[in-house]
Amino acid sequence: MDRRKALKKTGLLAGAALATPSLFSLLQSCKEETRLTWQPEFFTEDEAKTIGALVDMILPTTDTPGALDVKADVFIDKVIAQTYNTEGQENMRKDIAAFNIACQENYGDSFINLNETKRAEVLKAAEKTSGKFNPGIWGKTIGEQEPIGFYRSMKSMAIWAYMTSEDIGENVLNYLPVPGNFEACIPVSEVGNRWSLG
Amino acid sequence: MANYNIDAKKETTYDAIVIGSGISGGWAAKELCEKGLKTLVLERGPIVEHIVDYPTMNLDPWDTELRGGLTPEQQKKHYKAIRSGWIGTDTEHFWADDEANPYTEKKPFLWLRGHQMGGRSLLWGKQTYRWSDLDFEANAKDGHGVDWPMRYKDIEPWYTYVEKYAGISGEPLGLPQLPDSHFLPPMEMNCVEKHVKNRIEKEFKGRNMIIGRCAHLTVPHNGRGQCQNRNRCSRGCPFGAYFSSNSVTLPAAHATGNLTIRPYSIVQSLIYDDAKGKAAGVRIIDAETNEDIEYSAKIIFCNASTLSSTQILLNSKSDRFENGLGNDSGELGHNLMDHTYRVGAMGTVAGFDNKYYKGRRPNGIYIPRYWNINEETKTDKFVRGFGYQGSGGRVGNPANTEDFGADFKDSILKPGPWEFFITGFAECLPYHDNQVSLNNEVLDKWGQPTLTIDAEFKENEKAINKQIQEDAVEMLEKAGLNDIIGFDNEHSPGWGVHEMGTARMGRDPKTSVLNEFNQVHAAKNVFVTDGACMTSSSCVNPSLTYMAITARAADHAISELKKRNI
Repeated sequence: MDRRKALKKTGLLAGAALATPSLFSLLQSCKEETRLTWQPEFFTEDEAKTIGALVDMILPTTDTPGALDVKADVFIDKVIAQTYNTEGQENMRKDIAAFNIACQENYGDSFINLNETKRAEVLKAAEKTSGKFNPGIWGKTIGEQEPIGFYRSMKSMAIWAYMTSEDIGENVLNYLPVPGNFEACIPVSEVGNRWSLG
Repeated sequence: MANYNIDAKKETTYDAIVIGSGISGGWAAKELCEKGLKTLVLERGPIVEHIVDYPTMNLDPWDTELRGGLTPEQQKKHYKAIRSGWIGTDTEHFWADDEANPYTEKKPFLWLRGHQMGGRSLLWGKQTYRWSDLDFEANAKDGHGVDWPMRYKDIEPWYTYVEKYAGISGEPLGLPQLPDSHFLPPMEMNCVEKHVKNRIEKEFKGRNMIIGRCAHLTVPHNGRGQCQNRNRCSRGCPFGAYFSSNSVTLPAAHATGNLTIRPYSIVQSLIYDDAKGKAAGVRIIDAETNEDIEYSAKIIFCNASTLSSTQILLNSKSDRFENGLGNDSGELGHNLMDHTYRVGAMGTVAGFDNKYYKGRRPNGIYIPRYWNINEETKTDKFVRGFGYQGSGGRVGNPANTEDFGADFKDSILKPGPWEFFITGFAECLPYHDNQVSLNNEVLDKWGQPTLTIDAEFKENEKAINKQIQEDAVEMLEKAGLNDIIGFDNEHSPGWGVHEMGTARMGRDPKTSVLNEFNQVHAAKNVFVTDGACMTSSSCVNPSLTYMAITARAADHAISELKKRNI
């Protein structure tokens, strides 16, 4: 993949201001490195940190658990390691690299070294430029799916990892493995959050 | 329940042999065993005992390491079937091995197979509708294909018979084009489905939207439990709440003491006795040991699934039948049909944000056929017609929402937007050149010839699809939906998984393979009662009709045996 295409795929090319590395980001990169607390199967340490930082921005910890609390990054690494073929894995590496290059060019440093405000800008731009998933029925996409791009694909994986984690599935969402009767029409207020099993 | 895996090696002679244990094979086994015939069921794959062999039935997503994801090895094993989008870790073990069992697609065709006891009765969609004379008379009236050798009145008692045993839920409507079954109480539509139903029925005279009629128990029935709305059916149901061979017909057959099931038994061919003018038995290959074994019986029921039954007949060559057993007409392998699929429309529904539902109802809605059902509804754009299935729910794809962060996270924990879709199932005409043939170049793992499939939807199906999409969009618009998307996604057969034909019934041995009781014209002790026997395809799901046809044919077989006619 050429670099322009790679940038386009990250969804960061259009509309983002080009910037050279600023003093600020140079200072940022000097800050103390945090070590990864888990051993990835697929990601390099830097890639794992990038994905960790990204999913943390998408689904942060609040009064409910965030993506990192339920180890979404660990699960994403496992899925790529165990279900992607070699080509898919290589593309994932390229995508993460391209994402960081785009961050570098547009915001002055790789994603992990940007502060939270800058990271949010990266995500805002990516939300605007990333492709959207076509709807699907019965397991299959409707129509010709345009390329999704790295950001929304990773966001989708983060949501999947989050929603299917045991903590969210059993403690945050409404967990009802054996519903018994079907109740056709109930007020949302009766349950609050959505059912955990689809 | 006792172990099914009985050593069939010592005994090689039976009253009846049933090839295959899926929806129709299970019924054949039950009926023949209950009438006192010592019956051998030959199953290509392993034993799957009800409940005992449903390893994933209670697993939550987080209970499996990849939460549904398939490894590259699993993806390779199911490289054809995976196109359906239905295979995950929860059901992977119930889908056939595409590498060991190859097939060749001259044109794109998805052939989904379940090689285990129970076959696809474990995996099916469970929509159950009677066919009507609109279907049984269709070929005779518009001249496509050959006439069915039976009418609704011939099969009606057998619909009732199988429905009472299987347990079919639904609501009676008295529609001539979709006769009512013998029903258990219907399932219920959710708020949005009811809303859409009311709008469609108000706006469009002659169109009905009903809750799906389905083989799920809504009350306990024949010792089986009622549906618990888990929607994990395809993993096997611990309550036995949906119809499968494993939970319904095979236990009944087993209870008679007359049933022997031999797993890992690949039927290679039928043995034809030229002198007696009938089949003497079958040759099998043991899938595990590669041993060749012959079994003999007075009658043989072919229920290996539409294409597999035909494959066995094509491969049963003798001096009398050089081109396959029962192929005097040259129609064996021809007139393959399926329903068109994934053509329709979807949209979102406003005004119900404070409404939700409880339970994962394993059923949707149905819109019965409304074109070409009488003079008033006749169109010159196409012959035959279509029905819709669909459903409404609150799912959505939050990944598409242009947002992230704390508020976004809160939003995805809430019920998604209300969405509703309908997708049409169109009748496919029986075309002689939509066919399967034996492929001696590509052999399966056991050195047997495989099938080449050469089939496509043609002008009439395409014209119906166009109407399906137009009508779907119009109905959703009139029902007040937003963000409506019309779609027409599949242009090749197989995806509907309603493959029918290739050994059709007919009145004339010159143009058909089977007679009115599913007997091979020139080998009256061979019965084919799975989808292969179908003379036309209706637009209605076929499984209930397979059940009724099988029970009827088994009854006829017993009666002919008693009269010593076969």
